[in-house]
Amino acid sequence: MYDDAQDALAAEYVLGTLSADEREHAEALMSLDPGFAASVKQWERRLGELNVMVEAIEPPPEVWDKIRAQLGASAPAPQSPAAAPGFAFSEPPVVPSAAAPDAPAEELPPLLAGEPGEDTIAVPPPPEPEPGEAATEELPHELSDSITASLAKSLAEPPPPTEAVDRPAVLPAVEPRPERSANVVQLQRRVSRWRRMTVLMGAIAALLALYVGVAQFAPGLGPRSGPVVAQAPGSAPLGARLVAALNQEPTAPAFLLTVDPQRRTMVVRRVSATAELGKSYELWLIASGSPAPRSLGVIGADEFTERAIPANFDLATLRAATYAVSLEPPGGSPSGAPTGPVLFTGRVVESVPTAPRT
Amino acid sequence: MQAELVWLIGAVAKGDQAAFERLYAATRAKLYGVLLRILGKPELAEEVMQETYLKVWKMAHTFDPTLASPITWMVAMARNRAIDIVRRRSEVSIEDEPEAQNVAAESAPPLARREMTEELKRLLACLGKLDPEKQRIVLLAYYSGWSREQLSTKLDIPVNTIKTWLRRSLLEIRECMGR
Repeated sequence: MYDDAQDALAAEYVLGTLSADEREHAEALMSLDPGFAASVKQWERRLGELNVMVEAIEPPPEVWDKIRAQLGASAPAPQSPAAAPGFAFSEPPVVPSAAAPDAPAEELPPLLAGEPGEDTIAVPPPPEPEPGEAATEELPHELSDSITASLAKSLAEPPPPTEAVDRPAVLPAVEPRPERSANVVQLQRRVSRWRRMTVLMGAIAALLALYVGVAQFAPGLGPRSGPVVAQAPGSAPLGARLVAALNQEPTAPAFLLTVDPQRRTMVVRRVSATAELGKSYELWLIASGSPAPRSLGVIGADEFTERAIPANFDLATLRAATYAVSLEPPGGSPSGAPTGPVLFTGRVVESVPTAPRT
Repeated sequence: MQAELVWLIGAVAKGDQAAFERLYAATRAKLYGVLLRILGKPELAEEVMQETYLKVWKMAHTFDPTLASPITWMVAMARNRAIDIVRRRSEVSIEDEPEAQNVAAESAPPLARREMTEELKRLLACLGKLDPEKQRIVLLAYYSGWSREQLSTKLDIPVNTIKTWLRRSLLEIRECMGR
């Protein structure tokens, strides 16, 4: 059974009581995590029947006129039901209703299929995009919406025109930070920061195809260096954001790590990791090709932990690195190297396309 | 009704506009009722009607009748969009939409019982096991699309209590309905 906190999040998403930020977060999770998506579907089934009691009200006739007028302009529906996930009309498949790993497929627009590939971290080729062009049209619109919304909030100004905010170049608020030590900076809930981050979460949907989990390290042995991945170092311009889901299993991210190379900060959000009594979670960076993990500090007990990125890590390193979380004595490893089991690992993917979308 | 809707969505998935029109005719009043209740303003509800049906048109091929009934699938899409809109607006300014707030505040949860399905009976039986106040919160949240903060303000209950109650109630519903 899915963990209660996650299931309650799914339930509240369906019920509709979450805030805008939490909804974006839930939507990102749906994309990353088939278990969570299945949980949402299940709650839609449980609570959906309540609509029976809502009074039906006839809409004005012109609503249909407007819909029909747009049908021509919109992409025709895909022709082949055989190609559709999980559903053939002539012969409905017997799908065990609970598991349904394909369920979120409709929510995963293969956005990056159209993006320049060289700016993303090299990973195994993404799965074939779905044939329906319908889906590809969904995300850019909503993504730009959410960027607009978040920027508007974070800059405390009226929303700029949508087309202007699509680019990383205008992403927020700018003062370059003085470098700080790798000590954990435990901030109170920084709402505006989180809002900017949720933009990135929204973008994760687009990145699922590029998302890759790294094999779990053997507990107690310390990390070995991950597979070296061919890529063009430094090809991402400043402003590209990096996101990693740190997993124990591929389906259940425990932390989401967002790296902002421009601001030289990273933010860790606890997703499903529970606090361990008398222990601390410590975040590590394992540079590609380098055997020694470098501590990025202890992850705070709150939902968000923000910290500065040490000055000696350049963008190429950040992008190629494997990130890991180990369980350490309170306050972190006494030796500067992981001493406890490495519980979660992941690699970053770029979350904001580096070329403006058309 | 249900079987016909499933068939219609199947036809829509193949680009059948006539089927789409029939699907619209069969479901429009329910969706509009749901949207109007959450959004309050007819112009907004009409806008989301358009968005929702265009999405149905495009996404019909993803509908899986083993996972949802046609109407709950469509209502879920409409509600999700409506709640996204309400949340974003209310974070900019909660005074922005007095109309919606009034409509929602003045009307009790709708009780126009029509087709009382087995699933609904089961859900209501489980809801009925909750304390009356918690029942009310869950129903108001569903029907009015209120956030925790709005529930807190409207009902004059601390937001943390709302959060706890919601969570507990939903997990109780889950247990009661057999997961």
